[in-house]
Amino acid sequence: MEPGNEKYNKVLDLLRKSKPDLDSTDDIKREVIKRIERVNHSRLSLSDLVDFLFGWVYIQWVRRSLITASIALVLVFIYQQSVILKRIDYLSRQTIVTERENGSAPADEVEKMFMVYRNSGRRFPTKNITISEKQMKELIESVNELQLKYKDLENLIQEDPELKKMIEKKLIENNRTKNNL
Amino acid sequence: MIDIQLIEECRGGNFSNFRKLIELTSPFAYSVAFRILSNEDQAKDVVQETMVTIWQKLKKIKSAEVYKTWTYRIVVNKCYDQMRKKKRNPEFVTDEQTWELISNRISVGPSAALENSEISKIIGLLTERLSYKQKTVFVLSDLEGMSNDEISEITGISKSAVKANLYHARKSISEKVEKYL
Repeated sequence: MEPGNEKYNKVLDLLRKSKPDLDSTDDIKREVIKRIERVNHSRLSLSDLVDFLFGWVYIQWVRRSLITASIALVLVFIYQQSVILKRIDYLSRQTIVTERENGSAPADEVEKMFMVYRNSGRRFPTKNITISEKQMKELIESVNELQLKYKDLENLIQEDPELKKMIEKKLIENNRTKNNL
Repeated sequence: MIDIQLIEECRGGNFSNFRKLIELTSPFAYSVAFRILSNEDQAKDVVQETMVTIWQKLKKIKSAEVYKTWTYRIVVNKCYDQMRKKKRNPEFVTDEQTWELISNRISVGPSAALENSEISKIIGLLTERLSYKQKTVFVLSDLEGMSNDEISEITGISKSAVKANLYHARKSISEKVEKYL
């Protein structure tokens, strides 16, 4: 503030002496009380609503039932998990691990051959087996070869009645020998 | 003068004593709010909001001795909120009429107190180019007669910042007065 500024000081004096006049505090009092009551009321309503919605959890028998139900749910969950784990373990034992070797057939080809083998009505043993693709291919080829030879043999027997009779006779004799044993 | 005993009773939740506290607090809270905002309705709103806040947080203040400073701080903060709202809807006053009013009042002499509407116009005109901080510091220091320490405590700004803001506020108002009066 510049000391020599007389007009400024006069204006300031005027403003200092003129205190803003609050006509009545009654309106303010009334409005403040109303607001406070409104705030208190809204707080009360909220707590009432919470009590209404969740108050039932404080009933003793409901609490006990909820505890029992939750324990039962946990036990069921544990049982289910153990069953699932056992099943996974059982299934993992059924898997066939195949090894790839150089010069072996492509995987899809081997799979096709494997399907042929399965469709022939043969079953794999339940224990784990570990074989190479080459071995698998040889096995299937030999099975197929055997099947062809068997069919050829059957045709030969059907075409030649004498041979058929001879084989039947031989089989009957073999059965008798087995029965005698 | 606000009795410490009264504040202590209100801190204990005595609602009927709080009416008395509203009666005692409202005038000085209104004076500051009105001088900062230059608007009667907004100042009354600030006083109401301040009293509601006081009721809600009175238990949290450390002691009854700091009540007045604490109340001023609430008022200043509420005024700041109002000022931000006001920025969106600025009110325009006719400068020439207001300068004429100031001139007339000064010539009559310091004994003639101003009416609320006149105070509002004059403070509004003198402080229209000041920032919120400058205006608040000017009102608290030069119109309410507070020390820099008190202002620093109320506004939460450092003492040096209070001095700087006050210097700029006084300079701006002084220049205006020199120019137009």
